[in-house]
Amino acid sequence: MYGGGNLFETIKAESVSHEDQGQLEKFEQRIDRGEKIEPGDWMPDLYRKQLIRMIEQHAHSEVIGALPEGTWITRAPGFKRKLALMAKVQDEVGHAQLLYSAAETLGKTREQMIDDLISGRSKYSNVFNYPAFTWADSCFISWLVDAGAIVNQVANSRGSYGPYCRALERICIEESFHLKFGHHCVIHMATGTAKQREMMQAAINRWWAPMMHFFGPSDKISAHSATLMRWKVKILSNDETRQQWLDMYVPKIWELELTIPDPKLRKDPDSGQWVYTEPDWEEFKRVINGDGPCNKERLAVRRTAEEHGRWVRKALQKPNSKYLTPLA
Amino acid sequence: MNNTALKDLVYKMADDQLILGHRNSEWIGLGPILEEDIAFASMAQDKVGQSLAFYSLLNQLGEGEPDSIAFFRHAKQFHCCHFVELPIGDYSFSLMRHFLFDTAEAARFELLKASSYEPLKNLAIKFLGESRYHTMHADTWMNALGKGTDESIERMQNALDECMPYALGIYEESEFETQLISDRVFAGELALREIWIERINSLIAKTDLILPDLARCSPAFGGRIGDHTEYLQPLLDEMSEVVNIDPHADW
Amino acid sequence: MKESLDPRINRFNLLSLDDLQAKPTLDQLPTYEVFVQPNEDKTFQHEGIVHASDQRMAFVFAKEQFSRRSTCTGLWTVSTSDIYCTPTTENKQSVYEGIPEAEEKEGESYLIFHLLKRGKQHKCVGQVIAASHKQALQVAKHVLDITKPVLNAWVIKESDIFMSLEEDKVIWKTLPEKTFREAIDYRGSDKIEKFKQEQGKHHHE
Repeated sequence: MYGGGNLFETIKAESVSHEDQGQLEKFEQRIDRGEKIEPGDWMPDLYRKQLIRMIEQHAHSEVIGALPEGTWITRAPGFKRKLALMAKVQDEVGHAQLLYSAAETLGKTREQMIDDLISGRSKYSNVFNYPAFTWADSCFISWLVDAGAIVNQVANSRGSYGPYCRALERICIEESFHLKFGHHCVIHMATGTAKQREMMQAAINRWWAPMMHFFGPSDKISAHSATLMRWKVKILSNDETRQQWLDMYVPKIWELELTIPDPKLRKDPDSGQWVYTEPDWEEFKRVINGDGPCNKERLAVRRTAEEHGRWVRKALQKPNSKYLTPLA
Repeated sequence: MNNTALKDLVYKMADDQLILGHRNSEWIGLGPILEEDIAFASMAQDKVGQSLAFYSLLNQLGEGEPDSIAFFRHAKQFHCCHFVELPIGDYSFSLMRHFLFDTAEAARFELLKASSYEPLKNLAIKFLGESRYHTMHADTWMNALGKGTDESIERMQNALDECMPYALGIYEESEFETQLISDRVFAGELALREIWIERINSLIAKTDLILPDLARCSPAFGGRIGDHTEYLQPLLDEMSEVVNIDPHADW
Repeated sequence: MKESLDPRINRFNLLSLDDLQAKPTLDQLPTYEVFVQPNEDKTFQHEGIVHASDQRMAFVFAKEQFSRRSTCTGLWTVSTSDIYCTPTTENKQSVYEGIPEAEEKEGESYLIFHLLKRGKQHKCVGQVIAASHKQALQVAKHVLDITKPVLNAWVIKESDIFMSLEEDKVIWKTLPEKTFREAIDYRGSDKIEKFKQEQGKHHHE
């Protein structure tokens, strides 16, 4: 659901010169033909590594993403919102499960991935390091953060790795409920009482900057990026996804007579591109490296949940059971 | 048909489900295994969804709209048992509560299949499907943890011992008990308890857990007549925090 | 740690970040492949995996992870280790080319699953009696009506599969009613229209 398409750090540039060039050529031709790569296929180490990292971090983003929205489950206003929010956050956990499973087909165990998350070795989408102060924040996340994730997910579902694409297809179907639910919530806030409008506007003002960071900094086309795009691991550039999101959702925010805290924001009629104040990428770096308002809490919650659940998992272990890499 | 007796029965069922569903939703995102997190969340939704159906039935019987009766009553006006109010605790507690309560609920729905009050009978029949899964899930976990490691057996035993007086509180008889039985609306809490004891006994016997001596457990009564634990009002305050910002707003 | 905005977290007894323990590799549970039958008219299709301690637990998990939307009339779980897989073919070849046919003789029941295209998932195409997984494929070649080239096949011994029962179908009965988790329940355009009209009135005043 959240993130996907970003690696959050640069992987050391590795060459493919040590790979069997005949196999590499067949592999690349398959991708060019639009055929999916499946778990049993030959693949270059770099492809495997990149994919594991990308899918894993997408999965972590889902698991952590469940926390800011989960803040409002017990306080959701009314049956409809209560049931919907329970279902939505549940879906996020479900998406994490699907994504970890997809990454597992590439040879890394789920428990290793979770260990990397709770130890801080692996990153997740930065947007979840911010607090959901009010119900309106929850509405913003459900609508607009989800919308961002959907742009990434729809793009990546056209990628080359079969299990990841299948996971994304399932995710996209459930996301349509999330998006409509989120929009529904925001519409009610914006068209409701003065207090509701005020809450919603305050939430937009708070979340705008993190949302502009969501798609990542402008990616300069390096040899590295070019390889990822050629292998259909990365489908759209960060700028392309951000533009798509702005184009789809800024008009919808404005039609509710809500304002956006960027005086420069407008669509240039000649280029068709949205113009905006350049986000503060130093802040982005600071937060993603641990210095955001909620980083410590997010990690502490995941660690605690894992610790509290240790006895349960232990009790389920059977002495003779063997773990095998999943098939598809 | 005695409306007051009927509403008393439906209120306690709906309140039990809402409060327990709410409690179980507190585990979403925090569970011990991803798949179990997902499963537990579904069952919490089922409970809240069932409570909504029962509150809707109450609305047809002259009570307020579901949102207003669920989100705006004071603890004293609730008819849930103490069991469902307790905090989620360790996962062993929540699982044990799930096993004990859902076994009772499935049996309650089965008894209500014979209810003379058609709408209640129909809801019970409808929800028996969901109950089948809930008890399947609970039994599977009881078997896994009740025969797992020394630690899991110890935790589950402690949970069982802690839960039992509260579980017995489910069967607090209503002032309308004889009325409900003679009108054939419901076979009564004592009949339900008998079925429940037999079922939990049979499952527990397959594990390494020991059923406490029920005769020495003091049932936690009072919930059905509005006397609750210290946990209910804070739970309700939390549940209605946002709607209370403006009770007339459309969220 | 300062107080959380989430009241559940405040009750959760958060550990300090210093209490870090690496996850022991023991924590890893084995995987079970999940097959779903969306309705009576369709066959069982592979959907994904769950981690679980045994097939029954896998079933309980799979039900919510893979059949909590849409409809479902049947669910199977089987240990990943119990699936016999063929290699994947290239150039539109079928896995059945180059393997001999065999007559159906005594043995056990095996289920055959076919994958026809990369990116899609395996579907159950039939059942044969055979003495081994390998032989089951040979019998399948003889007995089943295979018209398209099969990219990859799975063979699973029926007794290795945990299958939902006829009487389990009720667990999915109320699924279609749970519209609160479907996009269809959240139409907001009327409200937007009404709002725009009212704002329009204000701007003219």
